[in-house]
Amino acid sequence: MMRRAHAANILGATLLALLFGCSAVSQSPSVPPKHPEELPAGRVNCLECHENVSTGALKPYATFSHSGVFIRSHGTYARQGQNLCSACHAPAFCRTCHAGKEEIKPNTKMGDRPDRMLPHRGDYTVTHQMDGRLDPGSCYRCHGNKNDVKCKQCHR
Amino acid sequence: MGIRTAGGILRKNLSPAFIVIVVSLLLPALSAGSAAAGDVNLSSKTYLLGYERELAGGQTDRYAPLYEYLSADAANLGGHPLSMHFYGWGRADLGDQSGTGKTSGEFSSFFLEYQDPHGNAQGKLGRFFLTEGAAMDVIDGVFVKGTSSVGLGVSLYGGVPVEYTILPGAQTADSIYGGRVFYVKSGFAEIGASYLKENGSTSDLDRELYGGDLWVRVAGPVELTAQAYYNDSASEMASQRYAVRIVPGAAFDISAGYEAYNYKGLFRSALNPAFVFPALDNNDKVQTIFGIVDWEFRPAWTLEVSGKNIRHDNSDPGDANRGEVGLRYAYNNKKDVAGISAAFVSADQDENEYQQYRAFASYSPEKLRMTLDGLYTHYKQAINGTNNAYQVVATAGYQVLAALQVSGNLTYTQGPNFENDYAGLVRVSYDLGFSTGGKK
Repeated sequence: MMRRAHAANILGATLLALLFGCSAVSQSPSVPPKHPEELPAGRVNCLECHENVSTGALKPYATFSHSGVFIRSHGTYARQGQNLCSACHAPAFCRTCHAGKEEIKPNTKMGDRPDRMLPHRGDYTVTHQMDGRLDPGSCYRCHGNKNDVKCKQCHR
Repeated sequence: MGIRTAGGILRKNLSPAFIVIVVSLLLPALSAGSAAAGDVNLSSKTYLLGYERELAGGQTDRYAPLYEYLSADAANLGGHPLSMHFYGWGRADLGDQSGTGKTSGEFSSFFLEYQDPHGNAQGKLGRFFLTEGAAMDVIDGVFVKGTSSVGLGVSLYGGVPVEYTILPGAQTADSIYGGRVFYVKSGFAEIGASYLKENGSTSDLDRELYGGDLWVRVAGPVELTAQAYYNDSASEMASQRYAVRIVPGAAFDISAGYEAYNYKGLFRSALNPAFVFPALDNNDKVQTIFGIVDWEFRPAWTLEVSGKNIRHDNSDPGDANRGEVGLRYAYNNKKDVAGISAAFVSADQDENEYQQYRAFASYSPEKLRMTLDGLYTHYKQAINGTNNAYQVVATAGYQVLAALQVSGNLTYTQGPNFENDYAGLVRVSYDLGFSTGGKK
């Protein structure tokens, strides 16, 4: 208990120092709330129009080009800030997969988009037994606190 | 509806389907009065599914669930850098009961957002999906974040986690709060330290995470990322991930790294029994080494190769290797893609081993769109007397108006669970955007 209280005090003091001790919020441009141009079809390649470093996200645009590498590791970047993501993606986009009670698989809803990397293709009630045994951490991100009638049939 | 959600009486008494309908009617009116006409996006997606299931005893149930998904985003409210976002869905069964109750739904997101045009100051109020340091949760609450002129920043959040439980006897958590302090040097590095505290319904479900994250561009196109989270409630590391990525341009991207997690640390607050004993041995630990290459070796042609070595502390389920190779070709101004892929899982235990092959293509002349997607899976160990599974999905759609598309799926499945199964889906998408600019 003492350790927790101590840690909380340190965190609180740090936050206060940052809030009141630092100079005013930066005046450098942020990410616009909405991407100003219509996005072309296909995987997004920021480098078609942008160079160097993104405002707001403060990382090179190349980092955010939607290659298979980026799509598989997008969480790493999202945990440092969502503002660049939200310039192009509405909240509904994230919640398609990161869902609470979703009943339709993403690849069923978007059956007309076979090009997209969507989880759970095929009869995944069979294959998930293997993937779940081998790498349950990958399931947990979306299903750890999810009420799904299909889960209930076996996981009681 | 047999579902416990965190939060108050209002949310428990109002059906999500009802909220979806009310908000869909109110939001255009609200936004028309307060936002510029150019900053409103409305989206309605309606799905009617049709399928049969043979139950024990010879009974056949016929399902026809009708789903309505609504999304509304209004920006520049009142001429200020304020926006409002809504997303939710509802289901009504037109045939036999397909889920928990004849109706269901979810009030997924509804929040007000402030995003300053300068300095990355932002705030959110309402229900939203939060990814910030140790947090990757949906909360009913508030989030604020700001960066100072010297690159130091702080974010804070607090509220009630939006969770659902099927773990017998468990209630959802009462509160969640935390924050992140960070330093960012534009184009070079970002380093952060984060804290998260979730008060579970019992102390067994408490979660207290201390985390660190790092992104650094060490040289030119080479970047390193690191994330590590310690769960003090479980006195265990929850997860850690370290990767190096080289991305010299849009045509080539390669990454490799190491990831690990402890079941006890990561799954401590899980409310789905699939993640707790006896479904899993909570003393197990997973370590993976992974690598992935995405290479557009010719314009429109992309090769993707990935590999993963998964090691468990416990002999059951044991270790495994997964490899995947895929080739894609984009055409018709990138509106269409064709691809083939193969994935192989070799494992210590036969029950975990399988191979999967996939081929797909789309064709979109003018207002038509047709796709075909085939998947074949071979399981090393027979399941329900068979080693093979097949699925073919064919779709066809027509763009009736600029904002209205009607399409349908026909899915055929054969495998351990199905001798011959046909399922249909009709999809009506209506996307109305009074906006210039991109939202997907």
